[in-house]
Amino acid sequence: MFSDITEQKETLLAPPGTERPVFSRDERTYSGCSEGFGLGERSFQRQYAHMYAARLMQMRGILKDRAEQKWGTDIPIKKLCDLQMGEQCVIVGTIFKHMELQPSILKEISEEHNLLPQPPRAKYISQSDELILEDELQRIKLEGKIETAKFVTGSVIAIMGAEKNDGKFTVEDYCFADLPPQAPREPLNSDRFVLLASGLGLGGSGADSMLGLQLLIDMVTGHLGDLGEQSGAASISHVLLAGNLLSQSTQDKDSTTKAKYLTKKTQAGSVEAIRLLDELLVQLVASVPVDVMPGEYDPTNYTLPQQSLHRCMFPLSVPYPTLQLVTNPYQAVMDGVRFLGTSGQNVSDIVKYSNIDDHLEILENTMRLRHLAPTAPDTLGCYPFYQQDPFIMAECPHVYFSGNAPAYQSKRIKGPEGQDVLLVAIPEFSSTQTACLVNLRTLECEPISFSTFSTEDDDEEMNISH
Amino acid sequence: MDELYLDNIDEYVNDQNKIVTYKWLSLTLGVHVNTAKQMLYHYLDQRRKERSGTTLHATYLVSGKCSENGSVCHKVSVVREDQLDDTKSKLDKTISVHVYSVQKAELKDSGPLYSTDYDAVKENLKNCNKYSTIRCAAAVPLSHTELQKVQEKVVEKEATKPSLNDHTAAAPKPSVKQPKGIMGMFSNKAAPKSEACNKEVKTEQKDEASPVSVILFGQTSKWFPCRERRPYFTIVFCANKIIDNIHSVLVIPDSPPVPEVQTPSPGNEVKKEPVSHQEASEGRRRKRRRVLKARTFLDDEGCMVTEKGYESESYSESEDDSKTTSQPSGESNSLKQSLGKREEEKTKERGQKKAPAAAAAANKSTKQSSIMGFFQKK
Repeated sequence: MFSDITEQKETLLAPPGTERPVFSRDERTYSGCSEGFGLGERSFQRQYAHMYAARLMQMRGILKDRAEQKWGTDIPIKKLCDLQMGEQCVIVGTIFKHMELQPSILKEISEEHNLLPQPPRAKYISQSDELILEDELQRIKLEGKIETAKFVTGSVIAIMGAEKNDGKFTVEDYCFADLPPQAPREPLNSDRFVLLASGLGLGGSGADSMLGLQLLIDMVTGHLGDLGEQSGAASISHVLLAGNLLSQSTQDKDSTTKAKYLTKKTQAGSVEAIRLLDELLVQLVASVPVDVMPGEYDPTNYTLPQQSLHRCMFPLSVPYPTLQLVTNPYQAVMDGVRFLGTSGQNVSDIVKYSNIDDHLEILENTMRLRHLAPTAPDTLGCYPFYQQDPFIMAECPHVYFSGNAPAYQSKRIKGPEGQDVLLVAIPEFSSTQTACLVNLRTLECEPISFSTFSTEDDDEEMNISH
Repeated sequence: MDELYLDNIDEYVNDQNKIVTYKWLSLTLGVHVNTAKQMLYHYLDQRRKERSGTTLHATYLVSGKCSENGSVCHKVSVVREDQLDDTKSKLDKTISVHVYSVQKAELKDSGPLYSTDYDAVKENLKNCNKYSTIRCAAAVPLSHTELQKVQEKVVEKEATKPSLNDHTAAAPKPSVKQPKGIMGMFSNKAAPKSEACNKEVKTEQKDEASPVSVILFGQTSKWFPCRERRPYFTIVFCANKIIDNIHSVLVIPDSPPVPEVQTPSPGNEVKKEPVSHQEASEGRRRKRRRVLKARTFLDDEGCMVTEKGYESESYSESEDDSKTTSQPSGESNSLKQSLGKREEEKTKERGQKKAPAAAAAANKSTKQSSIMGFFQKK
C-alpha cells in the first residue's frame, strides 16, 4: 500500500537545514495496445446489423467451448432453426431485452400516438420487460430461471433448456464466455504505483475541488509532504486520467436556445476549461508520464470508441513527450501489467437499463461477458463497425477500470483458468476528491483522498464506503 | 542570507498582507520546497516567541494513513491550526506534517490558498517543477524543430490523398505544346511568353486533379490577371492621345476660334477638340478626323488587350454635310421647345453654331458617348 511505503519523517517542523533531497522518478516500460480503438476513415453508410453479426460470429466458438465445459458434451448445441419441441439442448445467441420504457425515436415522431417526448429517467426497466434470444436467423422468447432485470441487450450467452409448447424457451441454466486467457506477468522487484483519477470536472462551478486538484498535483510532483511522502511519490511512475476532465456545465449549448445576438460574443465554456486543463497538465507532464482519456463531456466525438483529444488544444503540454493523448476505451501494458478500461459511459449505460446500481458489479459482469460495452450500439452510441467488434476482450487485463463512478470501489476477481484481475471503479474527483493508486507489484489498489477546510464544520469528508 | 528570509516573509505577511504558501515562497525566493516549508515554520516559531499576542495564523498540511470500514486510505488534508491536533488524532499513522501557509488574517475558507498558488504557478509555468523533490528524466520538452518533425509525421499519416506534385511536374511538358497551338493565333512573340506565364501559374498551383485541367486553368489565368493588372490602360491611352491632339489643334491660327470658346457646353476637352478640328477643316473637302476606334493586340506579356483610341481617319465632307444639315434643324426645333421664345434667337444662333458642333459631336456620339448625345434625339 502506498501509505505503508511512505515513512514517517518529521523534518519539516524545524528551521531550515542544509539537505536538498532530490528523488528521481522510476521509469517504467510502456507499450500502448489501443490500435483497435482508433478510427481511420469513418464511413457511416453501414448499418449496425453487421456489428451484431460480427459479435455473434466471434463469440459463438468461445461459448460452445464453455457450454461443453459446463454441461458436458451430451447435450447438443443447436441453432434456433433446428429446435425441436421438448428436447433439451443448448442455444447460443444475443440477448435482446424488450423494454416498454426504452426511448424509441419511432414512437416519438409517430403522429398517431400523439406522444410527447419522454423525459429522461434514471432507469428504463419495468416489470413487463422480456428477454429474447436472437441468433443469425431466428429469435425466441425466454422464460424460466433467468433474471430479466440483470441482463442487457447485446450480451452473447449460451442457454441450456428446452422449447415448450407455447413457442417459448424455458431456461434451466445459462453461462457466459467468462474471462479470456491472460498472459502471465513478471513480478516486479520494487513497489511502483499508477495513479488513476477521473472526473476532474474543470470549468464547473465548484471552486472547492480546485484546491483538492492542486493538492493532488503537488503530491504527485513532489512538492507536498515530508521526505517520506515525497520519496513515496517518486514511486508513482504513471498517471492515468480517465475521462470527464471537463465538467458537464461546459456542455451547455446556449447557442441552440438563446437568440443569436445574445450569444454572439460569448465563448463556449469549454474554451476556458481546456486552457485551465492545459495549465494543470503542464505541471504534471513536467514530472510524470500522463495518459489522458476523453470522457462524456470532453471535446471529442460522442460515439464509442472516442478518439483522443487533439494535441492543438494543449499548446503548453504538447512539447513534453510524457503527455499521451489516448482513446476511450484504452488498453496499455505498463511494466508487464495490462490495463484496460473506459471513462465510464459503458457502465452508466448498463445502470440505466438494468437493476444493478453497483459499478463494480457491472464491471465484473462485463468482464464475465467478455465484452466491454454490450449495450453498444443499441442504447450506447457507437461507430458502425463492419467485420469485427473491437469491444470483445481478446486478452484478459490485469487491471480493469472504469471512470466516473460515484464512489471508490475495488475488487479482485479470479477466472476459471486462474486469471487474476483487479477491478477498479475510479471515483469522480470533482465530487469525492479521491483518486486511486494501483501498486503494480502486488496489484492492490488504495484510495487517496484530499481535503480542505471551509466555512462549514470540519466533518469528515471523503468517506470511503463500499 | 540565512536570516534574510525571515525579514522577507515578515514583509510579505505583514506589510503586503499576503497569504504566503510554501509553494509561493519557494517560487518567489527560488528555494527548494522543503526549505520553504522549514523557513515558514522557523518564521512562525520565532515571531510567536518574540511577541505574544501576534496575529499570525497558519494552515498545516497533514497526511497519513487512515483505516475506515476495514479499508485503508491515504489522506492528505489542509487544516487550520486549531484543527491540527484533531486531525492528527483521527489518523492511524501520521506521515507528514508541515506548514502550508502563513497569513495575517484567519482564513475561513481554503479558496484563497488555491488562488495564491495558481498565480505563482502561472508565472512560472516553464519551470514549475524546478524546486520540487522529484526529477523525471523523460520529462524534457522537445525543441521546436523536433516538435515540428513529430507533427509532420502525424500529418503525413493523417493525409490520405497522395500529393500531386508528380502530376504538376509532368504537366508542363505536354501543355507547353498546346499553348503554342492556341496562342499561335495571335502572334509568335506571344508563344514563349505564354510558356513562361504557364509555368509561373503551375508553380503556384499544387493540387490539380488532372493535367488537362491544369492547362485550362493556366490559360484562363493568363487572361484575367493580365487584364486586371492594367485596368486603366485603355483610359490612360485615350487621355494621352486627346491631350496631344488638343495641343496640335490650338496651334492652328486661323480657325474660327471664338464660337467654340463661347459654346455653352461644359469645357470638355474631348468636345473641344473635335469641334475645333471640325471648324478648322470646314473649308476643306477631304479631311481627316479623329475617330474612336478599338484596337486589339497582344502586348509584351502575352495578354490580349483591347484599346479604344482616337485614330485619324480620312473622310469627305460631303458625307458629313448631309448628316450635319439634317440634324441641326431638328436640334433647333427641340431647343425652341425647351427654352422658350425669348431665347429663341439666341438659341437659334447657338443652335446654328452648335449645329456643326452638334453634328460633329453627333457623328462622334455614335462612336463615343458625349453630353451632346442628348441633343441628337429627334
